[in-house]
Amino acid sequence: MSVVALSELLGASIRDSSGSIRGRVREVAIAPQEHATRVAYLIVRTATGNRVVPADAVKSCGASVRTSGEAAGWARHVPSDGVLLLKRDLLDQQIIDVHGRKVVRVNDVEFDSTPLNSHVVLTVTAVDVGARGAIRRLANGIVPSFPLRALLAKIPPRVIPWQFVDLLETDPARRVKLKIAYEGLSRLHPADIADIVEDLPPAEREAVFETIDEEVAAEALEEIDPKVRASIVGSLDSDRAADIVDEMDPDAAADLLDDLTEARSDEILEQMQPAEREEVTHLLEFGERTAAGRMTTEYIAVPEQAVVVDAIDALKRFEGSREALATIYLIGSGEKLVGAVSLVRIATSASTAALQDLSEPYIACERDTPDDEVAALFDKYNLITLAVVDEHGRLAGIITADDVITMLRHRH
Amino acid sequence: MSLNWKSWKTRLLLFLAVVGPGFITANVDNDAGGIWTYSVAGAQFGYSLLWTMIPITIALVVVQEMAARMGAVTGKGLSDLIREEFGFRLTFFVMLALVITNFGNVVAEFAGVASSLELFGLSKYIVVPAAALVVWLLVVKGTYANIEKIFLTASVFYVCYIVAGVLAHPDWKAAAIATVSRPKDVGIRNYGYLYMVIGLIGTTIAPWMQFYLQASIVEKGVTARQYRASRWDVILGCLFTDVVAWFIIVACAATLFATGRHEVRDAADAAQALRPLAGEYAYLLFAAGLFNASIFAASILPISTAYAVCEGLGFESGLDKKFHEAPVFYWLYTLLIIAGAGVLLIPRLPLVYISVLSQVVNGIVLPFVLIFMLLLTNDRELMGEHTNSRAFNVVAWATVVVVVLLTIAMLIIRR
Repeated sequence: MSVVALSELLGASIRDSSGSIRGRVREVAIAPQEHATRVAYLIVRTATGNRVVPADAVKSCGASVRTSGEAAGWARHVPSDGVLLLKRDLLDQQIIDVHGRKVVRVNDVEFDSTPLNSHVVLTVTAVDVGARGAIRRLANGIVPSFPLRALLAKIPPRVIPWQFVDLLETDPARRVKLKIAYEGLSRLHPADIADIVEDLPPAEREAVFETIDEEVAAEALEEIDPKVRASIVGSLDSDRAADIVDEMDPDAAADLLDDLTEARSDEILEQMQPAEREEVTHLLEFGERTAAGRMTTEYIAVPEQAVVVDAIDALKRFEGSREALATIYLIGSGEKLVGAVSLVRIATSASTAALQDLSEPYIACERDTPDDEVAALFDKYNLITLAVVDEHGRLAGIITADDVITMLRHRH
Repeated sequence: MSLNWKSWKTRLLLFLAVVGPGFITANVDNDAGGIWTYSVAGAQFGYSLLWTMIPITIALVVVQEMAARMGAVTGKGLSDLIREEFGFRLTFFVMLALVITNFGNVVAEFAGVASSLELFGLSKYIVVPAAALVVWLLVVKGTYANIEKIFLTASVFYVCYIVAGVLAHPDWKAAAIATVSRPKDVGIRNYGYLYMVIGLIGTTIAPWMQFYLQASIVEKGVTARQYRASRWDVILGCLFTDVVAWFIIVACAATLFATGRHEVRDAADAAQALRPLAGEYAYLLFAAGLFNASIFAASILPISTAYAVCEGLGFESGLDKKFHEAPVFYWLYTLLIIAGAGVLLIPRLPLVYISVLSQVVNGIVLPFVLIFMLLLTNDRELMGEHTNSRAFNVVAWATVVVVVLLTIAMLIIRR
């Protein structure tokens, strides 16, 4: 078992069973449909054009690659969409380092070469993103290989194991063939996904949002810079965009649609689920910088006669965002807001306790209350959520503390 | 008092008339190196370099348009594209050349700071380190974005040259003729003349501008669809740059060259070109304009170099990162400023000579950057339907060939 670098392999001379040099390695291909990490074949530049040398013909990798079989038997190379060409698709390109949670550029690719029967199996193990790969690329072929290897051995490696690498591919058909699904990325925290996506070029951003699960996409989108977010959603298919917007918090969805052109926003609204569409349209009617523009309509409300168990039931059924869970609102006759119980009180009270008894004096604002006053209320009463009521005192929605923090930060 | 209130008021109105709100067009290209090079060209050779302005303008429009289009279509910076298409080794050498060239430009910007404040009798040993610190903080602390508008507004200073050029009563006929045909009185086989031609090309079509422009287009999020509007931005910006350049040369030709002061040794010499407009206060106007241009460019050049290099070579970059998260980025930025300002502390440094030299280096490096840009903008896989038109290719390749030939000719004559 030994480590081989892609930059050493590329340009290496290749010998057939007779031992004479027949060409030079031009590309290294992986066929993800057959095996996710194993090299499928080498593309070799020979006197008679580009030929394909199957990986199981490779006997050893070094300064020159020795192969079994006759050069005459190597098939002519036919380009195919379904294979990953490591030089073209990976070397010098940007990838997502799922473990380090950032976008990095590939300096080199490392293979493990293990003897099996009469040939060696080449498997991609890691990509090099550090100084070692960089210096190897710079010096390879200029500095003799022996001192170069000695020098490189002294440089601490900075590699990303292959399982933490998410490739970027902008062509959707090719993404399917290469089995690129951004699985690693999808498992990250939405805020981290947002940071990574902001570092990508526009086409790659779209690729990510076309591929990942709608729910994850929705959460990540809420965290992305409004300008970037609008450009991403603006370039997605309108039904794909609608699927994602459906999953977003209604207040975030309204903010987002507000940033798009009217035609585009209407297109997306049309494709959305009726219930979500109604909520979002409702929110869009208010100014963005008022309580109604900031609030979400996903909150927990129970009748005023309810007891703790009912509240817990409601909590379990609730599908909105976690931030909204902090307070349970009590609704009296005529849908009027009559009380608010904090999650902490529910957790620490007997299951039969009446919520009315646990209720604290609640703080609420009007739908047209401006941003500044909303922030002032949060500050004065140390709120986690704030109720927004209409002119009849009915609960219209709630504002959560995270929305206020975002609002304050964006003001600068 | 030769300067009474009435004439002062006329001059002020004259000044404000041109500095209208409609005239705030971004122009970093006319930085300290630019002002010096145009001034020296006019003082040393009169009108006889004016013929270069039309070909330079055509080339500038073509080259800047290529950079902007690449940014809009690919959404990637120039150094990213060079890396992705040409591999690590070539990118490394391009970035090395870029750092060296841009270092020269940074030196020129600080030389601009030093010589503008010299007019007020301030010692460069104090103002240059102070300016370096201010620039470093402006950018790292993120205040730069807030004051960019001030710099931009102050850029209307260039209009002074247009006014001064008119007031100096130049020989319009001679200037016009010299613009469309090369005067025969100065031979092309003259080393100083060739040096100046390359300097003019290098300062107007600076390599770093291409990296900066493309990055700005990407940063602004311009896409291929919205590109049409940006194209006009780019073209009008180029035209403004070169109209100003033409007038700086004419103003210097009509004042300095005409009165036999062919050598521009310091800011006091160059300021004389503004005398027809501002009279005794010419030096004040010149100092303020040069100072603004220098600090403006000094705030952009080192940081854009650090971005280009780190993106090309794959180092972590961005002002939103902490120092320890992006050490190469911050060190490169900091060193460019420290070393660039540090050079100025050498006693009796010929500031004007150094500034013009840095622009000549720009010119010599330009063809290499242009070749990469040409290969990239003609790559169908990358640019799709937005590859270069034939006319653009002809102009850009001609620029490459001409600048290379001029450089070779200059080096041969030198020997």
